[in-house]
Amino acid sequence: MGYEELFPPYDMEWHAHSTRRFANPFVDNKYDRVDVDPVMLSHAAVACGYTIRDFYEKPELGIHCLAHIYQLYDLLPVTHWFYASPWLADLGCKMVYKDTLPPIPESEILHEPGDVDALHVPSPEELYDGWTYSQYKRLYAYVQKNIPQTFVPISYGFDPVGEAAALCGVENFIMWTFVEQDAAHKLLEKFTQTAINGALCTAKDFGSAMLVVASVLANNDIFSDEAIREYSVKYMREYIDKSFRGGAGPQIFYHCCGNHETSYKEFQNLIWSPFTVLHIGYKGPEAFPSDLLVQEYGNKATCMGSVDTKLLINPNPKVVYDASAKQIIAGRDAPRGYILGTACECPPYSLPGNILAMTRAAKDYGTYGKW
Amino acid sequence: MDVKFSDSVKELIGERGLKIDDVIDIINTAESSNRKLNDGSKNLAKKRIGEVTIYAVYDDNGNVETAYSHRMVLGEIQKTTDEPDPTNWVCVSCNEKAVIGTVLMTYMGVTRSGPAVVCEKCGDAWIEEYLATKTIAAAEGLFEKKKA
Ligand SMILES: [Zn+2]
Repeated sequence: MGYEELFPPYDMEWHAHSTRRFANPFVDNKYDRVDVDPVMLSHAAVACGYTIRDFYEKPELGIHCLAHIYQLYDLLPVTHWFYASPWLADLGCKMVYKDTLPPIPESEILHEPGDVDALHVPSPEELYDGWTYSQYKRLYAYVQKNIPQTFVPISYGFDPVGEAAALCGVENFIMWTFVEQDAAHKLLEKFTQTAINGALCTAKDFGSAMLVVASVLANNDIFSDEAIREYSVKYMREYIDKSFRGGAGPQIFYHCCGNHETSYKEFQNLIWSPFTVLHIGYKGPEAFPSDLLVQEYGNKATCMGSVDTKLLINPNPKVVYDASAKQIIAGRDAPRGYILGTACECPPYSLPGNILAMTRAAKDYGTYGKW
Repeated sequence: MDVKFSDSVKELIGERGLKIDDVIDIINTAESSNRKLNDGSKNLAKKRIGEVTIYAVYDDNGNVETAYSHRMVLGEIQKTTDEPDPTNWVCVSCNEKAVIGTVLMTYMGVTRSGPAVVCEKCGDAWIEEYLATKTIAAAEGLFEKKKA
């Protein structure tokens, strides 16, 4: 039995409606309401009775759960499955699946700064049949066969600083940024080039590739603004620039979760395409204020605001509703559109009542023509 | 300038739906106005003709290396970074090093931002071939799909 037999038929009427709505921020339409994207991954599997591990171990099941739950929650008409820690296996890590976590490397593979020199950057040809891209080949073939209307080819550079740190250990990486800066840069360069080669595989197969790149570990809880510019933004730029040169893009999703108290200004240094969404998680302990996000970036990208993810596991939908309303009111006039998100991935055990409180707030405060 | 095309370049120009006469016009206009980029060995010139902006890359002897186009209309450059990445291009009329910058792009009535080679002195912007034929072409396709 294929996984497609586990789900009811996809609702094409809903799809037409949500597709038109999802075009709003990109082509200046004002149809229905502001969209909600709670950055959902394994919650969809959990909501369908599967486990976090199932979501990552069985990509086809994982993405079909997402397509199903997106319809029920009235979210987006597209699907995105994310292999956490992309490209690490291709760089030599043994990945282990966990019951309650995304897959992680069994251990770091680089111990001394000198080890970075020996790290091999796989070519696009090597990556094509490697661990990470093989999962996407399988996954995208499944989506194109069973739920093609939801298909967007995506390639993940994800979080260069976080992935580099996973290769050598977080403490090591942080230390290297102070005392072994050449090794830290060389490692970031090698991870980034690997991710670029991955994006070229997607571009070659599909003619385009939405690029997802993040600054997660590189946030103000750990790094200074200067370090975030030098170690994170620089490689995010390089990822986009070189991926574009190989035919990936045009869509970009910049996911800057974590605390960007003052480092939010550093993202001005990113590369902007006509289809760019910028998402910032927190400013200090608070969800990043949407008015500041729009003021800083509203004329460069579609802004994605944040509701604190902690609220989604708290049994109080009214608090989620109020937090959503506040962000929507602050963001809904963004010149290039606004999407209500969560500060980071919505927790796997998020309460459906809380996510529905977000869409309810989008309806009450984000319906075009009502304000 | 005596503009020359190899057979393979002629073929490429045809495949891209462009006209040889337009490419010649672009180069002659650039040469007479000095509005072009130069990297020491080749020139990049552009001109809006009808619904497209057409670009020609050619050397100082008039040998055309490539030509391509995009439909988006380029507008003002946008200030983004304090440390723009350098390019090998020089804006000839300003004698100014061009950098990788951000420029407003308008298509089907929608204005967004995109990467371009820009001269920060005169504010002019050029799209290189890889961007025009891949990223920008794909973006134009997405606009058409989403506007439909
Ligand atoms: Zn100039």
